[in-house]
Amino acid sequence: MEAIFEVTQRPNFPELLQTHIVLSVVSLLIAIAIAIPVSLAVRNTPLGSAIAINIGNVGRAVPSIAILALALPVLGFGFAPSLLALTLLAIPPILINAATGLKEVSREVVDAARGMGLSEAQILSRIQLPIAMPVIFAGIRTSAVQVVAAATLATFIGGGGLGELIVEGLQRSDTPVLLAGSFTIALLAIATELIFGGLERAFTPKGLRLARKKK
Amino acid sequence: MSRINLLQTYGPLIEWDWISENFVEDILPALQGHIFLSAVSVAIALAISLPLGILAARYRTAYAPVTFVTGLLYTIPSLAMFGILITVPGIGIGPRAVIVALVAYSLLVLIRNVVAGLDAVPPETIDAAKGMGLTPAQILFGVELPLALPVIVAGIRIATVTIIGIATIGAYISGGGLGKMIFDGINRGFPTMIITGAVLATALAIVADVSLLAVERRLRPWARTRRA
Amino acid sequence: MIEFRGVSKTYPGTERPVVNDLSFEVPEGEVCVLVGPSGCGKTTSMRMVNRLIEPSQGEVLIDGEPNTAMSGTQLRRKIGYAIQQIGLFPHRTIADNVAIVPSLLEWDRDRIKERVDGLLDLVGLSPDDYRDRYPAELSGGQQQRVGVARAMAADPPIMLMDEPFGAVDPITRERLQDEFVKIQDDIKKTIVFVTHDIDEAIKMGDKIAILRQGGFLEQYDSPENILANPASEFVESFVGADRVLKRLSLMRVGDMNLEPVNGEGSGLPAISGDLTVRDALSEMMGSGTERAVVERDGERRLITMSAIEELSQDRERPRE
Repeated sequence: MEAIFEVTQRPNFPELLQTHIVLSVVSLLIAIAIAIPVSLAVRNTPLGSAIAINIGNVGRAVPSIAILALALPVLGFGFAPSLLALTLLAIPPILINAATGLKEVSREVVDAARGMGLSEAQILSRIQLPIAMPVIFAGIRTSAVQVVAAATLATFIGGGGLGELIVEGLQRSDTPVLLAGSFTIALLAIATELIFGGLERAFTPKGLRLARKKK
Repeated sequence: MSRINLLQTYGPLIEWDWISENFVEDILPALQGHIFLSAVSVAIALAISLPLGILAARYRTAYAPVTFVTGLLYTIPSLAMFGILITVPGIGIGPRAVIVALVAYSLLVLIRNVVAGLDAVPPETIDAAKGMGLTPAQILFGVELPLALPVIVAGIRIATVTIIGIATIGAYISGGGLGKMIFDGINRGFPTMIITGAVLATALAIVADVSLLAVERRLRPWARTRRA
Repeated sequence: MIEFRGVSKTYPGTERPVVNDLSFEVPEGEVCVLVGPSGCGKTTSMRMVNRLIEPSQGEVLIDGEPNTAMSGTQLRRKIGYAIQQIGLFPHRTIADNVAIVPSLLEWDRDRIKERVDGLLDLVGLSPDDYRDRYPAELSGGQQQRVGVARAMAADPPIMLMDEPFGAVDPITRERLQDEFVKIQDDIKKTIVFVTHDIDEAIKMGDKIAILRQGGFLEQYDSPENILANPASEFVESFVGADRVLKRLSLMRVGDMNLEPVNGEGSGLPAISGDLTVRDALSEMMGSGTERAVVERDGERRLITMSAIEELSQDRERPRE
């Protein structure tokens, strides 16, 4: 146990942790910046929504190591290819949830809003977005946890991050290093899950919580 | 890690000759191994989840702790899970560690769906079964589980797709399967292997998804919508 | 006043219009019910008033001005809108739901609060109990009340209501209808009301427009006239075989032109002047009497079966 703790005191540990977090956060932010506008653009066209959701579903079926590994021959080794691969990986859950969430705001509610004279922008900001928010946040949560996990694999294409400890531990049969890497990554993922779960709850309007309970 | 000029290092993205030459010897066994890993894991996970799910549906107090623990397992990144598992005595490096991890990942979805499926059985139906004199076991196996089956299959579908993806990473700890092609491709700087492994793993996941969805729909004839 | 002037609607890619050369006027302060079977274009017609749908031909005038004189959103804020599925915003409180249009019109907060409370009172929901609740906490009937209150929020002179009492059980629906008739007696809005239920049309409408599949206007008249003189076989069958009885239910015994009782009233059963003629008929038949006494304003008048029969005879009606 002590040996494991000692690994975290190594001079390169903070750097690995930092790379891991930066990779995850930046790719998640880029993915949000791409997936949300796309979902907004297709929100009122059933065909567009269906296409976005299906692209997302196929995207989710691609194994994360496959996306990272494919970045290698196309983009090469390093941080930037890892970032790009992680971004591609982070998009599908957000895209699926945002497109589904916006699509499923009931037609009557939108019709009532339009009939009362809300402009399209007001319908989006006051009605569609708040109602879809919990679903969108659930997508971001899934994506965040997935990215933290996949960032571990970035080490295979030279992206750095805590995965390096696991690789090092395995190659040198150094159990403390292996476990230090594994536990830190596990804790990071669990922390991400908890933080985003909290955000999801915070962004769920009370009226929707009550409606869900009733169901 | 040294930076290499990759565009020169790597040849063409796909060498079809390699694929045809190695199809029977390397590719097919890798695919079979992948299917085997995934199928065995789902089967074991189901054998654990069914009784646990039935218990959690009966004894509500058990549901929260069960989903909490399995949810925690589900959150742990796969490479970290493998890293921890191979240090456990009796597991070690190899397919065994991979299968244990894949089972662990399946539990949350499967148990959740078993409970949801059983919850969705209308109480009137169970009441009617009781009224006709069925024993509790007959009600469970003859009424509740068949009615819950579509939801359970939906869980199996999600778990299978997830597992097929994660199993590729298992190759790093000598689990075999399509992931081995991906890792070998990375190590040898040979894109064809990476792409073949990645495409087959994705295709396998999609085929599993679509066929299990078809099974799910067939099991739910009452939900078929009439087309206007 | 709302005027439909030669309004047709054909959707792109289809040949048959869903609304066909519709022309009629809804006078100020009256309820006009659009009624007909599904596919008759009644909802489409209503939605062309606030331009949720734009006509392919013709125009809709409001107080003599084409409704295209201002932007769609500006127009809609001046027209109340209530729909069958209610469409309450699930993430907003009841008060916020009712306050939508007033806040769009930038009323000040005190005025909005006062208005919301007043409206909740009007539709029979105590503001202190319901103001801060969410739609999910209300029953279907209560939600419909909120839907109607929301449509009236900015006190629009015109209201559009698409089966606003459609999503509740028959008993609640009848109560909501009765209450709404009472409210309308006070507020005198110009209302376009859509329903597929002829009984609701007769009960709610000052005028009824009966539409047939394909968006043809079959008849536009008062309920009494439509029941007495159906303009076509379609209307006759749509209003039902019991149209004579329906007509009797539109009249009150107290409003009939009856002779005073001349001493001979003793021993006859008494009937309240508030009853509809239909109910009076039912009572008389039930007690097996040909004659009864109606008491109203201290006067005693004689009602007879033959007087009711006379009333129920159809007027001369032209039939091609």
